[in-house]
Amino acid sequence: MTREEIVTQVLCFFREEFEIENPGLDDNLREKHGFDSIDAIEMLLKIEKMLASELSHEEKKRAMDIRTINHICDYIESLAVARAASSE
Amino acid sequence: MRGGMERRVVITACSAITPIGRSKAEILHRLVHGISGVKALREDDLLSPYIHSKVFGTVDYPVVYDFQRQHRKTMGPVAYYACQVAKEALESAGLDQEFVTSGRLGVAFGSTHGSPTVQRNIYKTFFGGSRTEFSSIGAVDYLKSMVHTTAVNITKMFGITGRVISSSTACTTSSQSIGYGYEAIKYGMQDAMICGGADEYDTTTVAVFDNLLACSTAFNDTPHLTPRPFDAKRDGLVVGEGAGAVLLEEYEFARKRGTPILAEVIGFACNNNGGDLILPNLGGITETIRIGLREAKINAEEVDFISAHATGTKMGDVIESQAIYDVYGSLPGVVGLKSYMGHSMGSCGVIETIIAVYLMEEGFIAPTLNLDEIDERCAMLNHVVSLRESPIRIAAIQNFAFGGVNTNLIIKKMP
Repeated sequence: MTREEIVTQVLCFFREEFEIENPGLDDNLREKHGFDSIDAIEMLLKIEKMLASELSHEEKKRAMDIRTINHICDYIESLAVARAASSE
Repeated sequence: MRGGMERRVVITACSAITPIGRSKAEILHRLVHGISGVKALREDDLLSPYIHSKVFGTVDYPVVYDFQRQHRKTMGPVAYYACQVAKEALESAGLDQEFVTSGRLGVAFGSTHGSPTVQRNIYKTFFGGSRTEFSSIGAVDYLKSMVHTTAVNITKMFGITGRVISSSTACTTSSQSIGYGYEAIKYGMQDAMICGGADEYDTTTVAVFDNLLACSTAFNDTPHLTPRPFDAKRDGLVVGEGAGAVLLEEYEFARKRGTPILAEVIGFACNNNGGDLILPNLGGITETIRIGLREAKINAEEVDFISAHATGTKMGDVIESQAIYDVYGSLPGVVGLKSYMGHSMGSCGVIETIIAVYLMEEGFIAPTLNLDEIDERCAMLNHVVSLRESPIRIAAIQNFAFGGVNTNLIIKKMP
């Protein structure tokens, strides 16, 4: 998955699931869009589906520092890289 | 022993979702014209094919919600019902936002068992045989399904920071909500309480009562003819769905706001039979009625109207009739409002209270529907069998639940 594809999927997810239209990639999601801990957990479920892979407890804990769309995309990229490396 | 401050408590707003309509006009129209809200039981592809009772008190009209996602995301169907009636009651009362979030407004709201629809989806994950998704249980499924989901979704939606009471005592859930809300204001802990209950469409409850042989089955082809409280041909209760909310305020607070006062709550009683969890108990019910009158500081002769629990079961109606007669004799008009809409479980107490307020305002008593031939064991009461022009000054709303819980709410018309 390219960065562009990840951004597109995340924005689509935010629009359809969270009803947040066109958030800025560096917007503070909590302060500007009311994105809370419940949303963060829901987001992790979507990421598991996106990657077709279950996230470990440690991986989920890392997501709790996420504040922006760019952070989410960084997080997904890092997970994808780790999974690609472990499957080689 | 109680002492000190005892304040007056009034009802200043209400809203309901019932099988016989939403608005006061709709509900009164159904009552005046004897139109039942009991319909065929909706299929659920799970339990409905196996249930002998094929009737249900049905909300079959669309309820329009305009909740934002931030509120919707923690709500199952039961919380949608609860938040909608709470929203309408609060909007109708016109409380300012500063008061709503001040900590002086609390919530007393419950349901029989949260959201069975959401719980059912969780069980699918447990018992489905295979995991088809990586995480089948949603992060918010507990918030949607938990027993106090109605109360806390209301607090979240309106930013309410006062006390939260979430009774879950089946058929006495919402009468307890009103009663405990009333006491919270009466004794000075809160200045206002939004109180009520809700229960969504659910065949689990029907199956439970069906297995206990308590559900009506003889009128599956003519749902509008059942339940039949106090009637010789009654054959059991009809489960239903619905929701209701009343806003209670301390009298002086309401008066100073200049808000219309619909009625005063003057008494509440709650006790337990102290034994069997299913069978109605004459001693327990009679005592609840007596305690209610004592708390209200009135004599039995002052009560004009009794909204009986009257589910239409063989024994329940007889025991309740005896209890009413023992305390009141044949004076007050007695009506079983469930004859119109079935038994909406956790919401029946508040819906029946709201209807009592409507009847009080309009000065008539609607008859018990389907009461064609009064069971001789219930015949000693002053049953209302046809529309009766009659001012109601004081009304008692009685509810009894599995677990042996009994309640009696007493409300009074404001001069």
